[in-house]
Amino acid sequence: MAGAVESSLVNEDTSGTETIAASAVGLAAVLFALSLAALFEFVAITDPIAGVSMVVLLGALLVVLGAAVVAFGVGSRLGYVATQPRPSAGLVASVAFAGLWFVVGGLVASQTLGLGTVGWGATALVTGGVAFAATALPREDIGSTLPAGSLAILTGVIFLAGIIGPSWVWDLGWEQQASFNAEFAIPVVTAFCSLLAGWASAKAYGGFGARGRHVGAYVLVYLNALSIIAVLFLLVAFTVLKGLPGLFNGLAFGPGAGPETTLFGVTFTLPVSWPFVMNGVALLNDINGVLPAIVGTIWLVIGAVVFAVPLGVGAAVFITEYAERGRFTQVVEVATNGLWSTPSIVFGLFGLAFLVPRLGNGKSLLAGMLTLGFMLLPLVVITSREAMLAVPDEYRDASAALGVSKWQTVRSIVLPAALPGIVTGIILGVGRIAGETAPILLTMSGSVAPPGSQTVDVIGGFEFTTAPPFVDNPELLQATSALPYQLYSLITAGVGQSSNIANIDEFRWATALILLVVVLSFYAVGIATRYYFRRKLQHE
Amino acid sequence: MTILPQYDGAGLRTAVRRELQRGRDFVDETEPDALVTVAVASVSLLAAFVGFLAVSSLTAIPFAVFLVATGYGWIRHQELTARVLTLTTTISTILILGLILVFIFAEAWPTVEYATMTVFGIPIPGLRLFVETRWSPVTPPIRYSLVPMIHGTVLVTIIATAVAAPLGVAAALFLSEIAPRTVRELVKPGVEILAGIPSIVYGFIGFTILSPWASDQFDIVGQGTYLFVGVVVGLMALPTVVSVAEDALNSVPESMKSGSLALGTTDWQTMTSITLPAAFSGVSAAVLLGVGRAIGETMAATVMLRGSPGLTKPLYNVFYGNDTLTSLIAANYGDADGLQLSALFVAGVILFITVLFLSIGSQYIEARMRQKLGGTD
Repeated sequence: MAGAVESSLVNEDTSGTETIAASAVGLAAVLFALSLAALFEFVAITDPIAGVSMVVLLGALLVVLGAAVVAFGVGSRLGYVATQPRPSAGLVASVAFAGLWFVVGGLVASQTLGLGTVGWGATALVTGGVAFAATALPREDIGSTLPAGSLAILTGVIFLAGIIGPSWVWDLGWEQQASFNAEFAIPVVTAFCSLLAGWASAKAYGGFGARGRHVGAYVLVYLNALSIIAVLFLLVAFTVLKGLPGLFNGLAFGPGAGPETTLFGVTFTLPVSWPFVMNGVALLNDINGVLPAIVGTIWLVIGAVVFAVPLGVGAAVFITEYAERGRFTQVVEVATNGLWSTPSIVFGLFGLAFLVPRLGNGKSLLAGMLTLGFMLLPLVVITSREAMLAVPDEYRDASAALGVSKWQTVRSIVLPAALPGIVTGIILGVGRIAGETAPILLTMSGSVAPPGSQTVDVIGGFEFTTAPPFVDNPELLQATSALPYQLYSLITAGVGQSSNIANIDEFRWATALILLVVVLSFYAVGIATRYYFRRKLQHE
Repeated sequence: MTILPQYDGAGLRTAVRRELQRGRDFVDETEPDALVTVAVASVSLLAAFVGFLAVSSLTAIPFAVFLVATGYGWIRHQELTARVLTLTTTISTILILGLILVFIFAEAWPTVEYATMTVFGIPIPGLRLFVETRWSPVTPPIRYSLVPMIHGTVLVTIIATAVAAPLGVAAALFLSEIAPRTVRELVKPGVEILAGIPSIVYGFIGFTILSPWASDQFDIVGQGTYLFVGVVVGLMALPTVVSVAEDALNSVPESMKSGSLALGTTDWQTMTSITLPAAFSGVSAAVLLGVGRAIGETMAATVMLRGSPGLTKPLYNVFYGNDTLTSLIAANYGDADGLQLSALFVAGVILFITVLFLSIGSQYIEARMRQKLGGTD
């Protein structure tokens, strides 16, 4: 909690009892890690670990953990352990344990004992009721340990006795076949039981009562935050590992290594050759690449920003600075928030119905730009508005006191002060739209694996015509590719369409990686900008 | 933002009269030159818009006039021009929402009309889309039932919410109340980056890793399950829930929390009995927005599902995944035309309306909460 300083005024004897509870928490953590390892098949459940098979090990550890939890609870009840329990474990825990034991009782009765609907229903009700009573009625130290610990013991015994062994399969018997097998069920059940027992022993570590609940809850909340970060890290690391070989395939440095380039009329050879980002896909290429998609993405982003930023910032200026708060600003706010949450595929449909027939009657880069611009617009409005609202009114008053007009105040005071927030918002928004597939799928998608000659050249594409609208740019009105679309089409493409690509799997992962790099670098820049400006503001 | 007040007829009339009076004052006060410039710009922009709507090749001419007029206005009467320009951009924002509504409804109408069903002699357009379960755009009888896709969307959304809501709220609590400053500075960008990973990358990983794994684990015939699409979509909706819920928790006044802590409660007691109840509506708005994200998520569902519309058997069999509303559109737009394309627009209308209502609902809830907590906004 912000502003609160922790201090332990009373440090009671932290010797034996707390050590036991802490080691139970540690054991639960080990079990959780083991079950994850088994779930993701780093270890097979039949593999021997320390002389015993994984299933037996998990079962034995569960029994030990459960016994420790129960023993701690009973010891506390009998007064061997100094704790501050409440009279009851509370309604939330009671309902949770009742539901849990209802399911366990029902499953055991129907699957293991083979009872009919009435039989398993009755058994489930009885076990659920007993669990409710065992949680709600006794003192908290019994109520929160006994149901959790005995569940761990029961599961452990089931594993040890081989009722759920490595060859166990539960066919659900549905019309479309599906079944649970041991490789999935054992790790998942173990993970769940270890979480439960870990929570109970964390409570015990805190000595039950208010402090115990605090510790128990914090363990779960920290675990949750940790796993979110772990998932993020895994996703990114996995993509990077899989994508790197394809991405740097044939990378070469040295003078004259790269392709010939003409820039502003000067022809020179680049000192670096990076085939994956410098080539398209062609039959004669040694190494194929995604150059057209990269260029397409860049132009898409530029187009969307050029369209959306003036509109969005203008709208934010109007509703923040000019309009009186009232019905009109409310409508605008509801509309922008509604636009912001509109699914991207709906923007795609809108582009297909509204833009495509009006822009050359075919899928085109311009239609894609505008569709993404529509998506970016609400984000620009929302973030710009927030940034402008954060500018203190004193600034405006001081400016107005100098006798300048409203617009001069906006232009020379409000906008510069709000600029960091606006820029950050735009960068983050660009990161979002650069990775969008659905809208461009419907409005600008081109061929599956475009050759390098299909790279769009928007600047060189402008030409003047005699008929209205007098300026024409065929490059803008052509279908082209972009990174997210390229990845999608590579995933769904048939064999024939991508036969030019030798190692399709490597190519896909490299495309995914480069998309991830492009999008995440926008995010990194956005987050860093915000961080920088915040630090700067704090130091002022 | 407050809730729209109910105006009665008389109130409305006074409001209109006041607006008219303001308009007249505005015309009186402004220089005629500026007024003409602004008028020319507005009319030409309107003409350009109409031209664009009518697919006219002459659209560029009024647009050029608009550019010239605003350019002149910017040099001579910047104050007024800026005001009018920003007003125009504001209106265009609302206009885009309106255009989306009009255009996808118009495109959806043929199929709605085709699926008219007569109940007690009253023809109800579109009813057959929702009471039959057959999606068959090629083999007769040709039917465009959206029930299988709605079923898929509902299943995926339920699973995704079950993943995103508890984890998201817990993470928001962590970020706003529990985490030490340094940890927060690390976790918060992490959550944001999780939002930044493109959906097609999620879909690709799901398609190459999760789907084969799930088929193997659950002995499923073929690939594609609602269960894992739901999990992946839940992961994608998580950042939305976290950031909105965190804002809600942060908006609970510090004095309330300190008051509770001063009574000697633990941090966790303060959270469960003060902070969470006070921020409850904001947190539920966050969950609603997360649900909206999950409903609209397209690419992960498209590449991970089977793309063969139909109900799973039994209905709660989440181990088989056929199609959601979004994946139907993304997978079929290419070879669809006529009524089938129009049916895809019907799916789009359903998505749009559902998510719009969720968005408005969550805004309403947030506004109520801000009022209750006595905030200024």
